[in-house]
Amino acid sequence: MTKFHDTQPIWEGSFDCLAPFIRLKMFQNRLFQRQIGCALQFGRLEARSHFSRSSLLLNELKKKDQVESPEELAKTSHMKAEPLDFTNHAPIKAAKGKVYPKSKYESKSYQLPKWKEALGELVIRTFKLDMDKVRAGPVAGFYYYSLCKEQALQYEGEELSETAKFFYEDLKLPRTFSQWFQITLLHEWILFVRMRAMPFKYGRNYQQKLVDRTFADIEMRLFEEMNVNSGRIADQYLKDFNTQMRGAIFAYDEGFFTDDATLATAVWRNLFSGRKNIDMVHLEAVVRYIRSQLYVLSRLSDRDFAMGNFKFVPPNESVSVLTPEQEAQIKERVAEKYKAMDADPNTLPSNRSKLSYTN
Amino acid sequence: MSLQQPVREAAKQLVGVLEKFPAERIRHIVSFKSSQIGRFKRVAGLSGTDGWNESKKASIDEIKDIISRTSAPLGLQKDLLKKMQAAIPEDNLSEQSIKEQIRALNTLMSNKYKTYYDVGDKLYKPAGRPNYYQRILDEVQGKQKETFFSAFRTVVFGK
Repeated sequence: MTKFHDTQPIWEGSFDCLAPFIRLKMFQNRLFQRQIGCALQFGRLEARSHFSRSSLLLNELKKKDQVESPEELAKTSHMKAEPLDFTNHAPIKAAKGKVYPKSKYESKSYQLPKWKEALGELVIRTFKLDMDKVRAGPVAGFYYYSLCKEQALQYEGEELSETAKFFYEDLKLPRTFSQWFQITLLHEWILFVRMRAMPFKYGRNYQQKLVDRTFADIEMRLFEEMNVNSGRIADQYLKDFNTQMRGAIFAYDEGFFTDDATLATAVWRNLFSGRKNIDMVHLEAVVRYIRSQLYVLSRLSDRDFAMGNFKFVPPNESVSVLTPEQEAQIKERVAEKYKAMDADPNTLPSNRSKLSYTN
Repeated sequence: MSLQQPVREAAKQLVGVLEKFPAERIRHIVSFKSSQIGRFKRVAGLSGTDGWNESKKASIDEIKDIISRTSAPLGLQKDLLKKMQAAIPEDNLSEQSIKEQIRALNTLMSNKYKTYYDVGDKLYKPAGRPNYYQRILDEVQGKQKETFFSAFRTVVFGK
């Protein structure tokens, strides 16, 4: 993968100049560029042949064709300061017994017996259960919580996952339990923003179940992994996490609605716990990360979100804005897919939904 | 500590940029702006006070907070935050790294990512709760206070 670190500052000037370039680059018709190095090479060639007439624009493009992922952006920083560590060095140790997933139905390898499946479908059909409501409950709670949880999950002595590396190594966050909670919370809030845009009937339930799930899991992890023995102390921690959560959600909401600077200070206060020797390049990278996730979510239809067709874009990939044509194309394909699904008489009752797939 | 002239000059510039950083709408325990201005004023060799040393006397609110505070060990409490703010980190700043800080700050202040990754009214006026963000902002800015009945309505009906 090509690295562009030490060459030039990225994202200088306005994005407006960048628009033609992005459009060219998006020829591949993909929302995310997995190998941004190759993508950039491709895009650059395209840009050169197209704009060879005006050398000024060419220079502009060359200067700005470094569409970087948040991770690469964070790595461009030359600040060597190590953050002061005020943690009391309590590493997270993996529990001895098998704790997660608690229910066998939630394990990835579990297969529901055919007769149970058939019985379930029969029940849904006879009682005409609202599957959207069912899906908005524990099903989504489990799925979306595990998405958030895995982003920064880490245990002492275990290799960090790719996304966790971004948070703990690139952003130099401490490897503690409360830091894991803050990162998880940030991702949950990103989902909250999308959940509010679901129909009112279902939206609240999504949020409620996600929160329920979070606190049930934290309580379990406190006992099993952090070796908290007293229920009273665990309660204290939970209350504290609840306070942190309400504060963070308010702060992020304000930042999301107003401007990047406010969002950055909210991130600084919560994710970086008000660390004094903050690296502002890191703040910028996180703001970019948040806004790009929200962009992807804003382009996702209600139906797709309800069906769980969403995953966070990893920090080492970058998101380019879609052109109106590409957006229309994608929407058309999504509509086709769900139209066929709705029309098909063989679609199982549990896969049916009344949510809109056009928004 | 002997900092080179270019580093000091760059830090001065950074302080100038930080002064233009928008102030927070409500008062938080720590302020990004004042804490960073304090940090870089020291590097720039400018006289100035740290955000924390400005008011040595504890206010009534702070005393109340200390009394009513529970001993929650994980959360960041005021005293720990104060300790963090009072500590002088060894930054090892170079001219290049300060220039990067300035660039990052300017990017944030120009609202680049909000305009580039525009999510539109779909998320700013979400279908489930169209006035959610506007109400928060009005409350923060003091434009429209939440009354007892509007709060009650939110609790009961969720909207």
